[in-house]
Amino acid sequence: VKCQHCPPVRALQASATLRRAPDEHKKEPLTSSSQQHFDSPPAGHQPEQEPRGTHHSYTGQGGQESEDYESEEQLQHRILTAALEFVPEHGWTAEAIAEGAKTLGLSVAAAGMFHSDGSELILHFVSECNTKLSKLLEKEQKLVQLGEAEKKPIDEFLRDAVEARLRMLIPYIEKWPQALSVLLLPRNIPSSLSLLTSMIDDIWHYAGDQSTDFNWYTRRAVLTGIYNTTELVMMQDSSPGFEDTWRFLGNRVADAMTMSNTASQVQSTGEAVVQGLMGAAVTVSNAETSRAMR
Amino acid sequence: VYEVFENVAKKYDVMNDSMTLGIHRVWKDIFMHKMNPCPGTLLLDVAGGTGDIAFRFINYVRSVRQRQLQRKLKHHQNLSWQEIFDSYQKDQFNSLGDSQVVVCDINREMLKVGKQKAQHLGYSEGLSWVLGNAEELPFDDDKFDVYTIAFGIRNVTRIDLALQEAYRVLKPGGRFLCLEFSHVSNPLLSRLYDLYSFQVIPVLGEVIAGDWRSYQYLVESIRQFPPQEELKAMIEDAGFFKVDYENLNFGIVAIHSGFKL
Repeated sequence: VKCQHCPPVRALQASATLRRAPDEHKKEPLTSSSQQHFDSPPAGHQPEQEPRGTHHSYTGQGGQESEDYESEEQLQHRILTAALEFVPEHGWTAEAIAEGAKTLGLSVAAAGMFHSDGSELILHFVSECNTKLSKLLEKEQKLVQLGEAEKKPIDEFLRDAVEARLRMLIPYIEKWPQALSVLLLPRNIPSSLSLLTSMIDDIWHYAGDQSTDFNWYTRRAVLTGIYNTTELVMMQDSSPGFEDTWRFLGNRVADAMTMSNTASQVQSTGEAVVQGLMGAAVTVSNAETSRAMR
Repeated sequence: VYEVFENVAKKYDVMNDSMTLGIHRVWKDIFMHKMNPCPGTLLLDVAGGTGDIAFRFINYVRSVRQRQLQRKLKHHQNLSWQEIFDSYQKDQFNSLGDSQVVVCDINREMLKVGKQKAQHLGYSEGLSWVLGNAEELPFDDDKFDVYTIAFGIRNVTRIDLALQEAYRVLKPGGRFLCLEFSHVSNPLLSRLYDLYSFQVIPVLGEVIAGDWRSYQYLVESIRQFPPQEELKAMIEDAGFFKVDYENLNFGIVAIHSGFKL
């Protein structure tokens, strides 16, 4: 788990008044229990707190701060969350962040805390979506454990999970291609890659161990492939309710399932092929030696 | 300090160009880029006498505003002609998007030169010129979005007071930006820099502005000025958060930035 460098522990004076002022935007006040959040396990176990990045991105700051003050990290989180509302209009830019800061009662100059290409905003959004997905899957799992729901077959589970995650992009779909290109910048690749893999791992974790004849890396790679290709299809999709995308997704998941069945066949075929080649090689070398000896 | 700048006011820009071989323009451009102001920003430029930062700010905001308007028009593809015409009318008189810059300087001469330049270059809206002392600003609390001081803070006698004033007049979320000569850590470069500073600059001062002593003072004040880390600590002491600095040209110049959170 990658932890952020801890900023000096100082209270943010101004934010004390800020937090009281815009009540419409206020979520549940940070209780002192959240201050120990720093070392505790990630998101799903802190139900009422503001959603934080789960496994890899920004972790909350704890320490000696009292209830009224928040750290820089938390303030930055709030600004980014507020900024998401302005993304459909301004794109993933510093302008959206500036507008978000304005709604919190801060100066537009606060957007200067972030990179001007909007990277942090996009990464924040991705990590928020991943957290939402985790919570959703956990809830479903609970229902199954309580016997209130049927356990889904693996292909349906994967399809539903990926669809749920991709649906979170719908409000921002117009500007999402821009976000994808920013995520691919060399500077952002470590973070975006780790967010992606942690999300995929999460889905497989909740899928439970159902035998699919895949080993761990293959499973990860297969689902990542399904997710990425479906995401790209979604960018181009103009069908009502994205039905083309979901159909594509269903097909890819079905392909993956068939592949797992043929995988074992492929393996034995492979062995046979290799043995055949070895045999051929031995025959050829025998022939050569015997010819040489003649 | 006042007298130094009285002598220097008229030849200020010329001296800047010759001393830094014109690189100061690049430094100021980078400074503006770092600020990345969006339209609607209220800027206070302290010790900004001849207006270099102010003019760059106006240019920057104007071009950002242009792009904003273009984007809005593209969005409005489906509106009727009347609606498009109306929105054009409204925005036409708002080329700066309500951005404003207040230039504050302790020296009347510098402000005069700045005003003349503004007139000469055609900057009319969004500018104000105020006489004031950085250690005791004539402004209310929580007013400005950005506070800048470019090549001015080393001339302030009590830097901590100036920083406190900066904190006071900034809105919550506001940004403090400081562009200043700083310390070169690289030893080889440092020696070359010293050579240039002490041998060449006062001579240029004499030749161009007829004033050896002021430029000798200038060079010495640069050496006296606290280095990057120390200035960063001072800014933090004034109450700013996320304080950071960026060296330009290996530390000859540094940009410090902090936020009032």
